[in-house]
Amino acid sequence: MAPPVITSILSLELESFRNLDSVVLRPSSNGLTVIKGDNGVGKTSLLEAVVYCSTLRSFRGVAKEAVISNGKAQASLHCVLLHGSRTVDVSVDITLSRRDRVQRNGQRVDNGRDLLEVLQTTLFTPDDLELAKGSPSLRRGLLDDVIAAASPRLGAELASLDRILRQRNALLRQLGGRLRTDDMATLNIWDERLAETGEIISTARANLLEALVPLARRAFAALAPGAGTLELFYLPSYKGSLAAALKESRDDDLRRQLTTVGPQRDDVGISAGGLDARSRLSQGRQRCVALALRLASHEYLTAATGVQPVLLLDDAFSELDEKTARSLVNELPTGQALLTTAGSLPPGSEPDLVFSLVDGVIS
Amino acid sequence: MSVFAGPIQELVDELGRLPGIGPKSAQRIAFHILEVPKEEAVRLATAISGVKDRIRLCERCFNVGEAALCAVCSDSRRDSSIVCVVEDPRDIVAVERTREFHGTYHVLGGALNPIEGVGPDQLRVRDLLGRLEPEGVAEVIICTNPNLEGEATAMYLARLLGPLGTKVTRIASGLPVGGDLEYADELTLGRALVGRRQMAT
Repeated sequence: MAPPVITSILSLELESFRNLDSVVLRPSSNGLTVIKGDNGVGKTSLLEAVVYCSTLRSFRGVAKEAVISNGKAQASLHCVLLHGSRTVDVSVDITLSRRDRVQRNGQRVDNGRDLLEVLQTTLFTPDDLELAKGSPSLRRGLLDDVIAAASPRLGAELASLDRILRQRNALLRQLGGRLRTDDMATLNIWDERLAETGEIISTARANLLEALVPLARRAFAALAPGAGTLELFYLPSYKGSLAAALKESRDDDLRRQLTTVGPQRDDVGISAGGLDARSRLSQGRQRCVALALRLASHEYLTAATGVQPVLLLDDAFSELDEKTARSLVNELPTGQALLTTAGSLPPGSEPDLVFSLVDGVIS
Repeated sequence: MSVFAGPIQELVDELGRLPGIGPKSAQRIAFHILEVPKEEAVRLATAISGVKDRIRLCERCFNVGEAALCAVCSDSRRDSSIVCVVEDPRDIVAVERTREFHGTYHVLGGALNPIEGVGPDQLRVRDLLGRLEPEGVAEVIICTNPNLEGEATAMYLARLLGPLGTKVTRIASGLPVGGDLEYADELTLGRALVGRRQMAT
């Protein structure tokens, strides 16, 4: 197989973005760049800017206005990146009232897909702890994001699934617990659609998880050598075919006016050394699980799409002991990685570049 | 708070209710109307009330027209044994432009969409069933939109009509003719691949 196309950021200029007035970041084009700085100096904002250049959204889930510095009318990002052997120039102007003005190599682009095509990122944030600890929707979300990034067709199926569920639930609410013969035909149609699309998604998730297991296991073993083998298993909310499960749960669904079986209720079980990750692993180990999952999806997507995303690790050392932090640095895949930290670097780790962010200046 | 004198504000508000017209456009159109000669403005007003007074829905297919039967239904050359089912009268215009279809139509008035409160009762499904026998319909072509709701509606109709012995077909989906493959979106192209056909050799 041909080696993956490496994407890397050569320079990123930010203006009036969050609390960063005017900053230029020139990371190492290959390998690890560490950005050190105290709390609140804007380290996460740098990574947020990278993701914005790829998805035109803030990963913090806030409205775009929030990324514009207080009192300013516009934030600007300018990113020069290397995509394989091509140099691509991306500029984004984020304004309060209008749509973002986005240019790729000086040409206006309207479609966010044009940016995703040249810049993809894998992001780890401290909130990812919830992958090990939190609700099933986060674990499904991780799988779904990878599925959509790897296959546009399955990405569309995911969007369909979401809409089918909303339609079916709306219908269940309208029925108000009773099913007249006339309505049966309509409910049957949505059941049929849900069964078809739901099976596709459940299968895609289970297949993906199977592919992630060896990758995540290796990463976890390196990060937490004493913690035993990492196990990941798909936990469907139904047995047998979804069509049959929907039929069986129909009375229940009608009464609760909600779709109670299907991929929207599935989960991923995680354990290490036979201990359930959610209830029995320490918080440090849970972080290792989350990191292993992110690194595994990163590796999987690189192989599946032939394009290596930029790896972004926000405050990745927090709650990790020195040894684990060092293992993380050593375990990073080839390609570009940006890592922020408020503390010091683990001894013995050798990043390619280390910057400090102080008072809005990178040095 | 209204900034403009009463009648202008009223016009701006009314225009702002129209689809695709935001507050700024509504204002621009209102002031344009204010500036044009009176005859022109009256012509617009007459056209608007004319469309409400004179246009009605076809009794048979629910297309828009001026008489009890629309232009298609009253045309004796049209083949009433083939009915093309569409969501909206505008879809008839699209199919008519192909000049490939010589049957009649049936406008459902939407697609199954529980979120919007649309079920079979809100669509003209019963009317369609009522046409099958008297008009000797042999084939129903389901021409609803190729989106989730359109597909669900198509499936619903197929299940409903199939047992009645009527042939039910669904329009194919694929690539735009005369276009470049490289510009096709991956979903359309993917579907076109799935629906590929063996060629005559």
